[in-house]
Amino acid sequence: MSTIRLPASLRFTIAGEKTVPITAPTLAELVPAIAAAYPGLADRVISSGAFGDFVTVFVDGEDVRFLEPAAPIPATAVIEILPAMSGGR
Amino acid sequence: MAVELETRSALLGVRCRACGELQSMDERYVCATCLGPIEPEYDTAALRDGLRERIEAGPRSLWRYASLLPLAVPDAPPIGWTPFVPAPRLGAALGVPDLWLKDDTRNPTLSFKDRPVALAIARARQLGLRIVGCASTGNLAGAVAAAAAQAGLRAFVFVPAETEAGKVVSATAYGATVVRVNGDYDAVNRLCGTLADDLGWGFVNFNLRPYYAEGSKTILFEIAEQNAWRLPDHVVVPVGSGALLTRTATAAAQLIATGLVADTPFHISAAQPARCAPVSDAVLDDWRRVRPVRRPVTLARSLAIGAPADGDGAVEVVRRTGGSAASVSDAAIRDGQALLARTEGVLVEPAGGVVVATAQELAGRGVFGPNERVVLYLTGNGYKQPDAFGLELRAAIPADADAFSETYADVIG
Repeated sequence: MSTIRLPASLRFTIAGEKTVPITAPTLAELVPAIAAAYPGLADRVISSGAFGDFVTVFVDGEDVRFLEPAAPIPATAVIEILPAMSGGR
Repeated sequence: MAVELETRSALLGVRCRACGELQSMDERYVCATCLGPIEPEYDTAALRDGLRERIEAGPRSLWRYASLLPLAVPDAPPIGWTPFVPAPRLGAALGVPDLWLKDDTRNPTLSFKDRPVALAIARARQLGLRIVGCASTGNLAGAVAAAAAQAGLRAFVFVPAETEAGKVVSATAYGATVVRVNGDYDAVNRLCGTLADDLGWGFVNFNLRPYYAEGSKTILFEIAEQNAWRLPDHVVVPVGSGALLTRTATAAAQLIATGLVADTPFHISAAQPARCAPVSDAVLDDWRRVRPVRRPVTLARSLAIGAPADGDGAVEVVRRTGGSAASVSDAAIRDGQALLARTEGVLVEPAGGVVVATAQELAGRGVFGPNERVVLYLTGNGYKQPDAFGLELRAAIPADADAFSETYADVIG
């Protein structure tokens, strides 16, 4: 079972927890798994069946935008969901 | 302990750029409803009366525009009010007759980053934070470290391990802890996002970002005032995160809404290095959204942000204002740096070379009108990264006139 790690701004969707477990063997299965297990979280981060424009999702540090849908998610993986903000230099 | 700083009376709250909801200004840094980016919003109508006089009577720093910023800081150090100068020799070389430079290399830590950091540190003080930090590719590290020292705060700056030493040692000298991280900027940024939550520190470009980004507006405020309260016709802006470009558009809208300038055509163009050009590529290839660049490597390291937070917004602004974009090679960047140095005596980091090379390309494509006043944003000083010029000195000569004449015959002519 993998672990989802959430920023403070999203923890209210999962009763204040910092991390929650998730079972999704591949990236393609991650969105439906979140929708099924954590509907409150899904309301905030999923839009039209995909991660929304304003979150960035990482699987073991890799931005999912660079991964194929069939990319495996190891049982030990940490999935981080962060507000999509960056910028500095 | 929190410091009492005046929150501006004209500040209405923060508006989400995604869902449009106006929300109260508290410790949030993203939209409470949709996680979209939030920006302070002002009652511009209430500000109109006497605004120009208030600004002109203010300090010669970015704080003269306090009416259009979310905080007033009476004891802040002077930042900004940098030179705005004509560049006739560079303009002749580029075929842009009315070319001007906004020389923001002359801020206290030699980059425009002192502007956004001034606002972010003020916000950190207001919130009573004791520790601030940032993810940086170099310039921001020094700016945060210096501002934190001045405000009596501790600072941790996180940089990609390959960041050039010249940009990092200064942060150490200011007393900050420099944390070198294996990975690119986007990896460092991800780490900082996690730490901001876990440690409760103020990361200027993460949980202090709504204030931080406001500082970027002040470049255009200054340009408009230094240009006799008129918007120039066209600005060329280097793009890393895209915040400077999007806030240039915000600043223009606020200048117009408050009656400080007339609503004249104002074009904003994006300058990026070819090996990290998600915004320019989206503009030129007509994509709606940017496609992130994985592990970007470019001479212009200060622009090496592959997943720019304000990238989509920057694309929209360029299109809406009738601007354009270019992505330029490392060779063109070096040539741009050298051309600027040799024609106008201004030494810039590679990001400045990106801007000069972009202006050259846009001029060649006929993007600028024949009488347009074009302004180049120069955001980082070349003294920080001298190795980028790829120059070597000749071997030493004896203290002998003949040796000089012989060795330097090709230069003496």
